[in-house]
Formats: sequence, C-alpha cells, structure tokens
Amino acid sequence: MIKLFKYAVILFLCSAPSSLYSQNNTNLESNSLVLQQAKELYEELRCLVCQNQSLLESEAPLALDLKELIKEKLKEGKTKKEVKDFLVERYGEFILLLPTLSLQNLFLWIGPFIFLFIGIIFAYKFYTNFNRSSNKTKTLNPAEKKNVQKILDEKLE
Amino acid sequence: MKKYYYYIPLITFILLILFFSRQLFLNKDPSHLPSVMLDESFPKLEFNQLEKYNLLTIEDIFSYDKPSLVNVWASWCVPCKIEHANLMLLKNKHSIRIYGINYKDNLQEADEILNLDGNPFYSIGVDSSGRIAINLGVYGVPETFILDRNGKIRYRHVGPILEYDIRETILPILTKLEQDD
Repeated sequence: MIKLFKYAVILFLCSAPSSLYSQNNTNLESNSLVLQQAKELYEELRCLVCQNQSLLESEAPLALDLKELIKEKLKEGKTKKEVKDFLVERYGEFILLLPTLSLQNLFLWIGPFIFLFIGIIFAYKFYTNFNRSSNKTKTLNPAEKKNVQKILDEKLE
Repeated sequence: MKKYYYYIPLITFILLILFFSRQLFLNKDPSHLPSVMLDESFPKLEFNQLEKYNLLTIEDIFSYDKPSLVNVWASWCVPCKIEHANLMLLKNKHSIRIYGINYKDNLQEADEILNLDGNPFYSIGVDSSGRIAINLGVYGVPETFILDRNGKIRYRHVGPILEYDIRETILPILTKLEQDD
C-alpha cells in the first residue's frame, strides 16, 4: 500500500511541471501558432529579389523585412488571408508562388488539361486507326497466299 | 484530307512554342515587375527627418500642382551613385521637384553623400526599417516613381535613371502629364 502511495507521489511530481508549464505559457502557445502560420506563409510567398525562391528559403534583406512584417501582422491577430491580401496589394499577384484561381489565370490552370485531353483524343484516334488498317491486311487474298507460299517454298529448297 | 488532321497536335505545339518564346524575348528583364501601385494615390505615409534637410511630408506631395518624382535611394547603393548626377540634372536643368526616400541607411553617410555630390531632393523622408518601402511595393533601390499633379503614381522606374531614361521615358512622361490636366 505504501509502495503504491510512493508511486502515486512520484507520478504526481513527474506530471506537475508539465501541467504548470502548459498553464503558464498559453502566451507561448499562441506565439508558436503565429510562428507556424508565419512559416506556412513564407512557403507560399515569393522572394521578389531572388525570384524563384520562397521567402522561407531566402536571406535577401527585403525577404527578411517581409518575414518580420508578416510575423508582426499575425501577432496583431490578422489572419493569413489578410496578410496575403496586404502583400498582393503592394507587390501584385506575382508574390504568390501559387497563382489564384481567377478568370485571368483560368487558362494557366485548365490549359494543361485541355492540351492533355486533345492529346489523348489524337492518340486514341491514331492507334485505333492503326489497328484497323493492320486488321485489314491480316487476311491475304488467294493470289497473295499463293505467292507467299511460292516464296517460302523457294527459300526452303 | 485526313492526313492534315494529324498535324493539329504539331501545330498546337508550335503555337505554344511561339507563345512562350514571345514571352521569353519580349519581357527582356524579368526583374522589372509591373507596379500594382500604378494609378493609385501616393500612400499616406509618415517619414522621419534626415537632420539638416527638409522633411518629406504628404502635404508637400499633394499641395504641389506639377508632376514630381519620388526617388528611393541609399548611400550604400552603388547604382544610386550612378544616377545621382542625373537627378541633379533633372533638378537643375529641368527644374523638376524630386522627393527622396532614404532607404535603410546610415544617416551620417547619407548626409555625407549629399554634401559631397549635391542634394537633388526638395525634401527627404527617412525609412530606416524598410517598412515604408514595403508599403510602396519597392523591392530594391534605386526605384523612382513619377507622380502627377494630383499625387497619383503614374510610372515606376526600377534601377538607376540613366541619361537614356531621362530622354526616352522620364521627360516625355513628365511633359505628357503636364499637358494632360
């Protein structure tokens, strides 16, 4: 019984610090949420100096400034979308690594599928026609058969 | 007739190639992005002062009834040094008002440069954090905006202003803006 009690005390002591930690650090948790969101945004935004890098990968001074600004805005309670809109207003849609699905960008999004579709149709037509024509030649007329037989016989002799 | 039908994928492919190569060759420099701020009013920003120089204020910009230039510069920026003489020329020879935004700079060095090479700016605003430049959609120095008499951004020039640019773009745009209203 005493042993059990000891274990209980030890268990309690072990769990105490972590529960204390989580109670006192709600601030830290919301902070880490901000950092998480900020990181997601960095990945979706283009560094304007080194254009094919995301902000996350970039160490350019402007990228560092933008990252700082994004973190600040998120801490102020702005949503990810609000921060994105703010930057698009200033730098244009070019700053988004993934273009939005808008009328202007529609071709960009569905164009490849249209071309793929056209390609499939042509490939289908091409191969079915090819098979049909090869079907036709499968059967030889009697004269041809005779001819082939003749050639074969000649070779075998 | 049916044979031609099979050329359609090839023709589509060639058209695509033409379309892409047009983009490739016409947009000569991909780092020159179109500004989204075009035809927008100059944003209401507040600047810090560079000691001994007039402070750039929004009232300055909106009360002036001629086209003007806003130049983003820094003393550490080499292309800015190249364009400095041309800014002086614009100010002295063509009497164009230029506002300066000093971008993430050592203020002492900025002052030294202006002492040494002359001050082309009517007034100067300091942006030490780079925040104001972000608000303007600036992504590198030097950058220059042309404002019309109503304080609207009408043109953006990325990189140093060369003599060629003054002759071919800056002055024609300025005279056109002056005639417009």
